[in-house]
Amino acid sequence: MLTFTLRRLSLFIFTMLVLTLLSFSLSFLFPGDTVINHSGQINATATELAHLNQVYQMDKSIFNQYGAYLTHILNGDFGQSMASQSPISNEIIKLLPATIELSLVALLIAMLVGIPLGFIAAIKHNKTSDNVILSLAMLGYSIPVFWLGLLAILVFSIGLGWLPSAGQISLLFEIEFVTGIQFFDILLSDSPYKWQAFRDASAHMILPACVIALAPATIFIRLSRASMIEVLAASYIRAARAKGLSFQQIIFRHAIRNALIQIIRHVGLQFANLVTIAMVTEVIFSWPGIGRWLIDSIYQRDYTAIQSGLLVLSCFIFIVHILTDFIYAALNPLARGNNHGS
Amino acid sequence: MAREKIYLEEVFPSPFMQLWGIFRKTPVAMIGFCCFIFLILLAIFAPILAPYTPVDGNLEMILLPPAWHTDGNVSYLLGTDELGRDMLSRLMYGTSLTFGLSFIVVIFSLVIGVVIGSLSALTRGLKSSFLNHFLDVVLSIPSLLLAIIIVAILGPGISNTVWAIAIVFIPQFIHITRYAVKEEFRKDYVLASRLDGASNFRILYYSVFPNIVERLMSQATLAQSAAILDIATLGFLGLGAQIPLPEWGAILANGLERFYIAPWTVYLPGLAILFAVVATNLVGEGIRHALKLRKEN
Repeated sequence: MLTFTLRRLSLFIFTMLVLTLLSFSLSFLFPGDTVINHSGQINATATELAHLNQVYQMDKSIFNQYGAYLTHILNGDFGQSMASQSPISNEIIKLLPATIELSLVALLIAMLVGIPLGFIAAIKHNKTSDNVILSLAMLGYSIPVFWLGLLAILVFSIGLGWLPSAGQISLLFEIEFVTGIQFFDILLSDSPYKWQAFRDASAHMILPACVIALAPATIFIRLSRASMIEVLAASYIRAARAKGLSFQQIIFRHAIRNALIQIIRHVGLQFANLVTIAMVTEVIFSWPGIGRWLIDSIYQRDYTAIQSGLLVLSCFIFIVHILTDFIYAALNPLARGNNHGS
Repeated sequence: MAREKIYLEEVFPSPFMQLWGIFRKTPVAMIGFCCFIFLILLAIFAPILAPYTPVDGNLEMILLPPAWHTDGNVSYLLGTDELGRDMLSRLMYGTSLTFGLSFIVVIFSLVIGVVIGSLSALTRGLKSSFLNHFLDVVLSIPSLLLAIIIVAILGPGISNTVWAIAIVFIPQFIHITRYAVKEEFRKDYVLASRLDGASNFRILYYSVFPNIVERLMSQATLAQSAAILDIATLGFLGLGAQIPLPEWGAILANGLERFYIAPWTVYLPGLAILFAVVATNLVGEGIRHALKLRKEN
């Protein structure tokens, strides 16, 4: 386990280096002056500009510049947003929790719906229900997410009026910002309308989370179906059957546990996909998350915000990726010995 | 018994023809394949087939519902948008933008990815490990996010979108080619031709490629369905195709303001995207299914 941890750690550091290098080089690629792209101070006076040049070591070699940039990032200084001239780190702290909340709820929904359906399809392999589930999965995988979001708003918000169509919570509720994750904040607050607020926040969450969850859920259906079919064909299942265990005992005690391990491995990879979908969905549902902010900053040509947003989002995705790797290794001893570059 | 074909060599179908034989017998895959061919033809011949031009509006026929509606007009089969432009023609021209461009994007990144991937499969040690980690990093960034960043650098527009998406898909193809080539290189038939004195390049070209081409095609269909969705999404966000262009995602975004009074301007382009993606996925699914059956036989 120790070598596994060290190996993941080295991969993590390498990834962070590449990602920061990417966002560092974006300052050169974007139009405009490099140091202004780094800092976001578009209205800097000559003395301020001289100071910035010195802080970011623009007169030294490119390695020193990268070092200076890295020091800024490590100190949590992402520069200022070109559009609003407020520090980007503050905006990210405000926006990122909303995205984390939404994407984790969506991931949970996708797993809770997708994995059981995939297992059912595998157990009924090559029967009608298998085919129905597979065709539905393919349809769900093919629907463009923005279209699905609009249809969901049209049906459930405008047509039936069941669920709100935009935002994270009704403006009537005043919830103090503590962690940024809405549900925790509501539970931590001492408002007398706590439960109403909680219900309102859940109602706002349902539509966007379900829209995001659809495509990953279909992928989970395929993954869990494939891994279940593989497990059911294994000899130990035949041995269990030969021992005289009932079908339910075989499925719940032996098959599901072994099939789940294979799926956990793919959760991290699917998460990147899910976050992309979440970005578009945030735009449609006006969710105050980092995806919408990032797309807005493209419209506003806010280059400092774009590069920091890229860095933070891909960091978040990569951390989830590594965490699922750890969970996988903790659950499956076979994975720990796996060597690098394979 | 008389053997009539004594001088003719016995024909043994190539792996590719075996695959086609199995593929042909799957009805669902063939339906998808026909739809795929239909879309390709439509993308090429849209200017000849479309009844109107996609940009000229008829101001007397604004927001006409589709022909099956009571207020519809049969000369505008799928209705018109807020400037009186024929939806059917716009969708037909849109095929060559959304579907046709995704096709070109995938072929472009396929070629580059396969070249880099097969060359990198021949490297070993530190270089290989570095490339692997680097690919892991690039693949962990969502493709749409990366495309958005590239569009932010290049500026919005359909040609920049195409470049962005092509660049984003290259690592996927490098990864799969590299993996497939490495796997094939461990097999005995490669060793046999190596003992015959074949160079690496010759082995790659004559021995390995015919055996991995279907796997690449299956990946290409996956990439194409993602490319259609990405082009449409960027168009929808206003970062891809710009205003007069009839790109499906852009048409959809354009109809958004009149979503409630003219829903067909939103659901028709959405259905077109869905149709194209489903057709592509059916073909991919058929290839994967045929590959599995061929392996089992």
